[in-house]
Amino acid sequence: MVQLSYLDYLALEGRSFLHRLSPKWKLLGMGFVLLWIVLPRNLHAVILLYGILLFLFLLSRLPLRLFPLTFYPLLFATLFIFISNFQIQFILLVFLKVLSGATGVVILLGTTPYPFLFQTLERFLPSIFVTALFLTYRSLFILLKVLEETQHALYLRGGFQWSHPIRSLTNLSNAFGHLIIVAIDYSEKMYEAMKLRGFKNKVHYRGE
Amino acid sequence: MSHLHLPDGVLPVWLWASGLILAIFIAWLFSRLIRREDLTRRLPLLGMMAAAMVLGASVEIVPIAYHVNLTVATGILLGPYLIFLVTFVVNFLLALFGHGGLTVIGLNTLILSIEGILGYFFFRVFWRISKRIIPSIFLATFLALSLSTFFMIGVVRLGVDHYEELLHSHEEKGLFEFKLLKEKDHQPQEISDKVNFRRFVSIVLPLGFLGWLLEGAITSLILRYIYRLRPELLRLTDERGNG
Repeated sequence: MVQLSYLDYLALEGRSFLHRLSPKWKLLGMGFVLLWIVLPRNLHAVILLYGILLFLFLLSRLPLRLFPLTFYPLLFATLFIFISNFQIQFILLVFLKVLSGATGVVILLGTTPYPFLFQTLERFLPSIFVTALFLTYRSLFILLKVLEETQHALYLRGGFQWSHPIRSLTNLSNAFGHLIIVAIDYSEKMYEAMKLRGFKNKVHYRGE
Repeated sequence: MSHLHLPDGVLPVWLWASGLILAIFIAWLFSRLIRREDLTRRLPLLGMMAAAMVLGASVEIVPIAYHVNLTVATGILLGPYLIFLVTFVVNFLLALFGHGGLTVIGLNTLILSIEGILGYFFFRVFWRISKRIIPSIFLATFLALSLSTFFMIGVVRLGVDHYEELLHSHEEKGLFEFKLLKEKDHQPQEISDKVNFRRFVSIVLPLGFLGWLLEGAITSLILRYIYRLRPELLRLTDERGNG
């Protein structure tokens, strides 16, 4: 999650072919990747897709330190392998589908600044949903900053220690409670500012 | 635990597509039921709570593969209509970060919304009966999470035939067939194994139980903290209990 601002920076500052490509085409490409993930039941087809995505990752000139981000979803997919009686074919198929989806998403987010992404999404999705998405994305950066400060406060109060579970749980909950109260305060200020600027359930983008 | 961490391409198309259609229909219905000015006023709060949920979901408790959802806390703070829009947004963003597939957004939204809506109503009932904040929230969270987990298990169960097909996919021709890597005299292996749904349930439920307890405790303590500092946020019109 902390990599979010770095991804944003890369999306804005990158100069590769994929950075220059219209967000509309990139979203269509992501749709095609999803279709490729959903439809084939053949391992070779998914290997081919993953190979293409790896090539696109290199082509986008995104730093290699971003690549481990694509492995994150594997953490959740592991639970699902128990359903398969540990058959290697099934596990490979599922893992490659997960890796392909995650690589596609990292390429998309690393090469497309989020206002352009949301602007394009607004053509397909209801504006209220895209506005909520935009506000959530913006709020994430605000909360990450608050979380950073809260982490210091949490650390000074003993942080999270398995040897003191009850105290740790109380500390953690108070930290989240604080985070939510600060979030609510910020949201009230944000609403007042948006109202003053004539907000009517829709965020307008530059060029509209 | 109730969150479906399934990647794209594992659930059958009919299942995730119907989940998506149903979620879109309910979102449309709820957006009609809520007053326009109320929605505008609460949009920034909705964004902040959704962001808090995304942050909560990114903190993985590794030994039990669990993360807090904060769905019940958000449901209690925002009410049953807005929780649906929040979970839709949260699942969309989480899917973009690789936390669950993009195609399962609809199903995840339905499951998490059930959790939030049930949590909201359970809390109201328990509060009315006991007037004690911690037991009311703990019980509401525990019950809402356990019911939504059973709902999630039901969704996974619906796809069993499809998993069987995936397990045996290398025996038959798929949509894309690439012969280059296959040997000509390749014979399909004898596969006696079937999808082991019981094993899945036997792993999910004990881990889930620990998670329900943990999230119940965390949600209770978070909302107690909020109740002490900003009680009006819980919109408890009745007189305050002894917490």
